Amino acid sequence: MAMVSVRHRGWKSVLHGSAIALMLAVTVPSIARAQQVNAVNSDATVAKEDQERQALLDQLAALEKRIVELTAISPQSVPTSQIAMAAPQAAAPQQAPAMPPGMVMPQTGPSPGANPANPEGNPTDSTNPQDLLDRIKVLEQRLKDLETTAVLSEPQTRTKRVEVYVDPQGGVHDEPVPGARKTVTYQRERVYRRQTMSEQIEAAIADAEQHKVEVGVNAGIVAQFGFRTQGDTAAPTNRAYELASADLFFTAGIAQNTVFFADLVGLGGTHPENEIPTLTLINGYSARLQNQNQISVREAWLRTEVMSGKLAMVAGRMDLTNYIDHNAAANDETSQFLSDALVNNPMLGLTENGIGFVSVYDPKHGFNGKFGFQQSNSNAASLNESLFTMGEVGYVARLPKTGEGNYRFWYRTDNASGTGYRSGFGTSIDQRLSPRLTLFGRYGEAEATVNWNSFYSGGLKFDNGFGFFPGDVWGLGYAQTHLQTSEKERVIEGFYNLSLTEKLKLSFHLSHFLEMQQGGTKLGYLFPGVRLQANF
Amino acid sequence: MFSTKRVLTISGFLVVVGALSAAFYNVMPSSHVQAADVKVADPTSVVMIVNRDSNDLAFMDIKTHKIVGKTFLGNNVNPHMVMMSPDGRYVVTGGTRANKAYIVDSHTLELVKVIPVGIAPEHLSFSPDSRWYYQGNPEGDSISVIDMQSMTMVKTINGLVEPLNITFTPDGSKAYVGNYGAHWVGVVDVRRHELMKKIYLSDFPGVAKLDPSKYLGETKGINIGMFSPDGKYLYAADGDLGIVAVIDPREDKVIKTIRVGKEPWRIYMGHDGKYAITPNNGDQTISIIDLKENKVAATLEAGPDMTGVNFAAGKAFVISSTSGYVYVYNMSSLRPAGRLKIGTNVQLETATTDTADQKLYLAESTTNSVVIIDARTEAIERVTNVGLYPWGTHIMDSKDNYCH
Repeated sequence: MAMVSVRHRGWKSVLHGSAIALMLAVTVPSIARAQQVNAVNSDATVAKEDQERQALLDQLAALEKRIVELTAISPQSVPTSQIAMAAPQAAAPQQAPAMPPGMVMPQTGPSPGANPANPEGNPTDSTNPQDLLDRIKVLEQRLKDLETTAVLSEPQTRTKRVEVYVDPQGGVHDEPVPGARKTVTYQRERVYRRQTMSEQIEAAIADAEQHKVEVGVNAGIVAQFGFRTQGDTAAPTNRAYELASADLFFTAGIAQNTVFFADLVGLGGTHPENEIPTLTLINGYSARLQNQNQISVREAWLRTEVMSGKLAMVAGRMDLTNYIDHNAAANDETSQFLSDALVNNPMLGLTENGIGFVSVYDPKHGFNGKFGFQQSNSNAASLNESLFTMGEVGYVARLPKTGEGNYRFWYRTDNASGTGYRSGFGTSIDQRLSPRLTLFGRYGEAEATVNWNSFYSGGLKFDNGFGFFPGDVWGLGYAQTHLQTSEKERVIEGFYNLSLTEKLKLSFHLSHFLEMQQGGTKLGYLFPGVRLQANF
Repeated sequence: MFSTKRVLTISGFLVVVGALSAAFYNVMPSSHVQAADVKVADPTSVVMIVNRDSNDLAFMDIKTHKIVGKTFLGNNVNPHMVMMSPDGRYVVTGGTRANKAYIVDSHTLELVKVIPVGIAPEHLSFSPDSRWYYQGNPEGDSISVIDMQSMTMVKTINGLVEPLNITFTPDGSKAYVGNYGAHWVGVVDVRRHELMKKIYLSDFPGVAKLDPSKYLGETKGINIGMFSPDGKYLYAADGDLGIVAVIDPREDKVIKTIRVGKEPWRIYMGHDGKYAITPNNGDQTISIIDLKENKVAATLEAGPDMTGVNFAAGKAFVISSTSGYVYVYNMSSLRPAGRLKIGTNVQLETATTDTADQKLYLAESTTNSVVIIDARTEAIERVTNVGLYPWGTHIMDSKDNYCH
């Protein structure tokens, strides 16, 4: 029994051993194969990830290359955060921007809501695919921004006025040193300013504008019709007149605070003063007429400013009334009233432009003073025979419940008559009663042969939207001239100036002149008219 | 008295506590700002200067006029406008050529966050509770909304046209956006950060079609909407239309238009609530607007290229950028009160007024300086080398904080 059992146990053991061996023989190779397969699969996955990572890196490199192309090659123009990202595999430490001394560096350590070590929140510099994708996203956005606004990154060079200290040995110091004298020099400076192409172009155009001669044109065409309303039936009536004028202005800055100006005027056509006897000009343009269809130099002068701009001096051929007897509502035949009595004060007695000088003291406090002289007769041999001298004091006031007002008082002398100096005085006032309504007035007296001539005018100007279009201006005015010889003139005019564009204006005028001539005869005329004015 | 074992135990305990304390201290060094790190203890004590070409913010002590620190933002950032949050914690600026917003700690002057925003960020504004920082991106026609709690950009408000300035209502519920490329004021719902209305200012004149060079050329629309000091109305000037529109913020509609001079740049509010001023660059005048009557009280001569108006000591100071002059006006008599010559061949930028209404701090870019004007005596002091091309200044709680 024991042997049987031993034998039986041995047989069982053999069977068990065989089974185990068989199992081992089957399973071990399969495990080994499985391990081999797994190893192969693992290698393939790694290779695939490497390929994807390499693709991302290639994409990054392409983006970075494009960004470098768009920005400058200079490291100054490429933010260092991008430089660090441009070489991710180099694992270079994050560089802080080049920083002038004394400035505050972003410090490490936690701060509320942000990481000062990485204020831009850039994705970390690793080869993790998600980090690479994040970086691609950032770079794509950056690329989009750069492509949207192409900018220049070259350093900008500009020359500046600097104060330096020169010692006795000729050494230059930025700060004062013993024995050094302070002086001014000019020095180039470079800055790193990125500007768009349009900014550069605008700057170039503005610079060119500053250095060129500016040309302006003021052209006007005035058509008027004359209808006699009373008086001598033999006097002309039902007449049409047309006058065309073109002013060419040239302005150039020739030195610090110094400007040259010239006004060439050409005028042609018919004007009512040729055949209708009035004390003042019916058409203010006629005052410019010297020679038909010829260009003449109306003004040519130099203006310079001194005393921090408080004192301006003008010398050359000029119209002194451009500086004196100003008025905000009735001063310009090209945009306001057409009748000369509502443009100037006849008591000024200055009928033509000439060589002269004027100084204007204006500290911008509201008070201003002007003084000047001018040749008043171009046929005179010298200024001794035709010296027109004039002074004015002006004041900007603001009366209660009204807007601003300009009050001017002038005095003048003139020896052009050949009988010594004759004087005159006057005032010119414009007072804004409301934002849309301005009251104006003039008064003047002038010494004549026996007695004094006198003049006054007044009226209203409406603007600031008191019309069809925002830029429209219209006005009503009345003027009366009384000569020592008992001649009188009463002028009334209304106009409406349509502001078609900033450069083109069309105005309609209606004026009536009543002349009371010596002997008591009266002559009345109605003048409807149209003025087309281009100013550019 | 003590056993050796007890002494050793206590010593060991102390060593452990000490080590833990040291470790904790090392771990949390910045949980509170160390005194040595603080460069500006009181945010109201400094003038902030934004330097366009040195790409930094400079901080000048108001009392000593010394630069106490600068924060460099990065190369070619070209910051445009600087502003402090109403709670005084942060100073922010938009980097126009970096298309990013920069957030600086107002005490340590550390740059703590840079956030990509829209294209060419310039002017900006904070909600009154300091929570929202609205960064306008004029060339991107958008506003980037930055949450100052998380310091992240949470939204971009699109649909604007060259948004130049943003004004929050005093309660912070709405923000008004001046669109310089259009003729309407945008109303933004601050809860949702969404453009909810466009306020139409005025009709164009019928002759506009005859003047394509003006109306189809460069648009000069609305720079900013500004509240009257009593908060009752919002005023917005339109350059092309030559008007100031008075807007009722309760209904967000125009109740009146005031015609001013040509090409008003924008409106500036006087501090006493009586008057506002528009510098009119088209005709080189200023229009003084009576805020009670809502009409022009005076139109006075001024200079070319005006970029700002400051109020102090009962006067208005109007900056004529290219002429080198600051024009002065008496705000009681509404008359001219002279002009100050700042320099020859200089370019004046913008200024801020101190909270006492005594001094103006004017950025003068060509000489890299800030000009300090005493409003009462009109004496001038110049602080040089503040940085390259200072473009603007800012003082916390000043009533004249603005940019170009």
